[in-house]
Amino acid sequence: MTTTTKYAARLDNGIKTYGEGESAVHALNGATAEFERGHFTAIMGPSGSGKSTLLHCIAGLDSLTSGSAYIGDVDLSSLKDRDLTLLRRERIGFVFQAFNLVPSLSAEENILLPLSIGGKKPDEDWYGQILDTVGLRDRLKHLPAELSGGEQQRVAAARALVSQPEIIFADEPSGNLDSKAGAELLAFMRRAVKEFGQTIVMVTHDPNTAAYADRIIFLEDGKTVDEMYDPTPDSVLDRLKSLGG
Amino acid sequence: MIKTAIKSLFAHKIRFILTAVAIVLGVSLVAGTFIFTDTINAQFDDLLDDIYAGIDVSVRADAGDFGASTEPFPAEVLGSVLAVDGVDVAEGGVASISIQVLDKSGDPIGGQGPPTLGFSWGEVPSLSPMRIKDGGGLPPSGPGEVMLDANTVDNAGFVLGDEVTVIGFLGPEEFELVGIGSFGDQDSLLGATLVLFELEEARRVFGFGDEFSGISVQAVADVDADELTERISLVLPSGVEAVTGETEQDEQAADINEGLSFLSIGLLSFAGVSVFVGAFIIQNTFRIVVAQRTRELALLRAIGATGRQIRVMVIVEALFIGLVGSVAGIAFGFVMALAIRGLMNAGGFGVPADALVLLPRTLVVSMLVGLGLTLLSSLLPARKASRIPPVAAMREDAARTPRRSLRTRAIAGTAITGLGVLLLAVGLFASVGRAIIFVAAGAAIAFIGVSVLAPLAAKPLADVIGWPLPRLFGISGLLAKENTKRKPRRTASTASALMVGVALVAFFSVFGASTKASISDTVFELFPADLTFQSENQNDPELPAAISPAFAVDLETYDELSVVSAMQFGRVVIDGDQQFLGAVDPSTINQVFALQPNGDAVSALSQPGSMIVASGFLEKNGWKVGDIVTTEFAHSGEVEMSVVGTFEADEFSNIYVSTETFKANYQYVGDGLVFANARDGVGVAAAQEAISPTVDAFGNVKAQTKSEIVDELETQIDQALALFTGLLLFAVIIAILGITNTLTLSIYERTREIGLLRAVGMVRRQVRRMIRWEAVIIATFGAILGVGLGIVLGWAVVKALEEEGFGAFSIPVGQVVLALFLAALAGVLAAIWPARKAARMNILDAISTE
Ligand SMILES: Nc1ncnc2c1ncn2[C@@H]1O[C@H](COP(=O)(O)OP(=O)(O)O)[C@@H](O)[C@H]1O
Ligand SMILES: [Mg+2]
Repeated sequence: MTTTTKYAARLDNGIKTYGEGESAVHALNGATAEFERGHFTAIMGPSGSGKSTLLHCIAGLDSLTSGSAYIGDVDLSSLKDRDLTLLRRERIGFVFQAFNLVPSLSAEENILLPLSIGGKKPDEDWYGQILDTVGLRDRLKHLPAELSGGEQQRVAAARALVSQPEIIFADEPSGNLDSKAGAELLAFMRRAVKEFGQTIVMVTHDPNTAAYADRIIFLEDGKTVDEMYDPTPDSVLDRLKSLGG
Repeated sequence: MIKTAIKSLFAHKIRFILTAVAIVLGVSLVAGTFIFTDTINAQFDDLLDDIYAGIDVSVRADAGDFGASTEPFPAEVLGSVLAVDGVDVAEGGVASISIQVLDKSGDPIGGQGPPTLGFSWGEVPSLSPMRIKDGGGLPPSGPGEVMLDANTVDNAGFVLGDEVTVIGFLGPEEFELVGIGSFGDQDSLLGATLVLFELEEARRVFGFGDEFSGISVQAVADVDADELTERISLVLPSGVEAVTGETEQDEQAADINEGLSFLSIGLLSFAGVSVFVGAFIIQNTFRIVVAQRTRELALLRAIGATGRQIRVMVIVEALFIGLVGSVAGIAFGFVMALAIRGLMNAGGFGVPADALVLLPRTLVVSMLVGLGLTLLSSLLPARKASRIPPVAAMREDAARTPRRSLRTRAIAGTAITGLGVLLLAVGLFASVGRAIIFVAAGAAIAFIGVSVLAPLAAKPLADVIGWPLPRLFGISGLLAKENTKRKPRRTASTASALMVGVALVAFFSVFGASTKASISDTVFELFPADLTFQSENQNDPELPAAISPAFAVDLETYDELSVVSAMQFGRVVIDGDQQFLGAVDPSTINQVFALQPNGDAVSALSQPGSMIVASGFLEKNGWKVGDIVTTEFAHSGEVEMSVVGTFEADEFSNIYVSTETFKANYQYVGDGLVFANARDGVGVAAAQEAISPTVDAFGNVKAQTKSEIVDELETQIDQALALFTGLLLFAVIIAILGITNTLTLSIYERTREIGLLRAVGMVRRQVRRMIRWEAVIIATFGAILGVGLGIVLGWAVVKALEEEGFGAFSIPVGQVVLALFLAALAGVLAAIWPARKAARMNILDAISTE
């Protein structure tokens, strides 16, 4: 880890505007958030509240209209595409809702993708730990099409972990899974935080999913409006009701 | 429905443009060929109009089956013609194509380009298109005077009063340039060198007696040309005929047309290859597009469109692209015509820069080609589209039609390939009429067959070709390799387009190399002579141009030579078929040329009126030695010739007579080939050195040793190969566009995936590299198929021609390797655009989930 700050990632008064003039949409409208190292943070909010946009901007996939996003103490707006790409490759991991895997590569090749893109070899110990945790040793040679949805997402999570990134971003990672497969995936992510000290930021709209996190940030109309520590499904539901009302 | 079709076209501009480009290129070659030849035809028509403007009747030798003739006839005919009632003016003239002008440094003007034509100057302006240019001196009026066309004078840097060397019947002579002429209002007759003398001088220089080769007649005002022709015919001796000027003009126009059709058929064949390759590309594009639009099409089905409607929609889209492509292709055809003209002019032809001619036929054929091409290419994809089930709108995997089993594919592909090979074999080995059609159709069907089989080879071959890539380029290389294996059919189909062009190039290379391999043996066997002389001119594409008879006479004076022997060539008509005929000197021929006579056939030739016949030809005609064969000559008419023997070396001609017999039946203007041997004890080089004054004086004669002949033939083969390869370049360019097209579409399909790769840290350079190597694998795959097929085809043709002296099948390894390398390079080029596009793809598109 090359940074000394307390936060793995930070968003400061982020504004993201799509379109111009009359039709402009302020997907982010002055959102501010910090993500502490070793924490599992969930971002919640109604559909269209800007959750995905926030994630994209802070993960270096998209740029802010104004405000700043930091990974560690690196201001993302100061980076050119190439450096941004290298930063993603080395310091960030991703799990998306779907289409996480390259169909022509086997599960193992997919897991190792961030490393092979950088021409690196995996740390054998670490790789072994991940495989044990993710529990896919016997499926490694299979192509994504031959895996179930839950297995595919766990492969994606393993891939996000393999390069030991400072932070992992996940956008509705269990959104396409049934509840059992979703629970397995979330349990795996949680273990990554508890056992390996991984930092994870996850977007979700589901209280049960959010309850796996240490802390929840609530988003509304592009602004962070509330937060909550050590949530349970019920407490989340309550909070949502009060916010919505 | 149709609106939906057109809208979807404009929604995907790049796909639209790339598909259209394949059509544009194919159509433009077709249109360009027509436009160019029609333009030349129109130019010739204008020229002929000029020439025949004042000529009502033309009197000439009656050449029977030979058509229009320039054979000489007695000059006294002019008197009889002039005496005919209704003749206003009549003038006789002589003409020769066995004439050569040397430039200031003693080199022949014209060379292998446009011919040199000799005429007598006509005193009656209305009967001759030649004019003196302003300030161009005077017409030739007596011995030692010559007139040249302005174009030749300019190019050679002559000025009035210069001494110009002209080689005629009597050998090189100096003439004073007294006049500079134009042809009608053109400085040149399409680049030909025009040489004019006063009539008597022309007869002497061309080797004529008191003869004419034609008389032009103008009728008095109220006499009709047909009527006058009839009246003149009545006074003509046998062997001389009168035709109207119009008839002769039409004959000439038909001749020119025929000559040009040779060119246009050649160009159209290559255009056909391009169109064929285009069909592969277009079909492939439509197929991919249909696959990509599965959801959209399924949605249409779900809301009530019938399968038929979907099919019509896809076909309408195709036809629209075909329409736009064809129109653009015709427009681009003009550019193509200009390019062909530029190439011709660079080759020494003076094709005037007149307005290009677009005939309705060109429009119709080009539109038919363009629309037909797209229509045919869209049928299968349209059918596939119509079979997409409505549920595919909801479930992605529902659209996967069960893959046709590998077995079915293997059987179908083998059957089609087999049919192609069969047709090919029929064309090559069985003696059928129009064999070339069988060969072309066979090759085309074999190409299709192989392209059906190719998907079976795609995966294993991609593994082989791509084997080093993961090692060299890590993940980019691995993905490049895997991507080509993902849709074997798409990879194979894209590669097949390149295969066609490469196969033909490889075929010509193999054919060329095999020809070269046997050429040396053939030449050394056929020409025992130390030195062979031939003219550098090319007046008649089928026969060697004549060397002035004075040349062989001059050679005889050298002590360094032991034998000098000349050969002449001409045409005869036997049983209605035109044949070539060679003439030899029976006393010397065996020392210089290996006729391989059976028995004493050659010495039997010494009897006048006898001929010897190649044994195969004798058999084919059902003749026997001792038969009398009625043979028609343009000059002497029908002659009874006796077959006195047979020979085996039928490379040049199936019939030989003695030079003496030749002179009795032809207007002898010179020798086609002259051979000489160095005297014993004098080396070939020394003899060549000794005779150089004579060889130099006859600027258009080149002296060659056996190995120089071989070298020259090899160079000619290389040139022909280069020309063919150049013409096939179009097909290859279209195929490369096809790779670009496929990759562009695949990238579009893989938006998410590429975005994902970028998201997890692949830099743009790595993305570009991945696409580039994917293209290289496809291109190399196509090239390997092409080279393989080309070699097989080459082998078959060489085998078929074995009897013609093609013993040695030879593979030009260097060229094959070069072709593979260039194909890989072409892949790199094809990938430039899609690779850039992929690298610039928006990462967010990858992860948006709709
Ligand atoms: N590319 C885009 N162009 C225009 N508007 C967009 C774009 N992406 C998102 N939006 C808008 O921005 C807002 C926030 O979107 P998003 O971040 O995807 O919300 P969430 O993930 O919370 O559902 C929404 O109103 C959405 O319509
Ligand atoms: Mg979202």
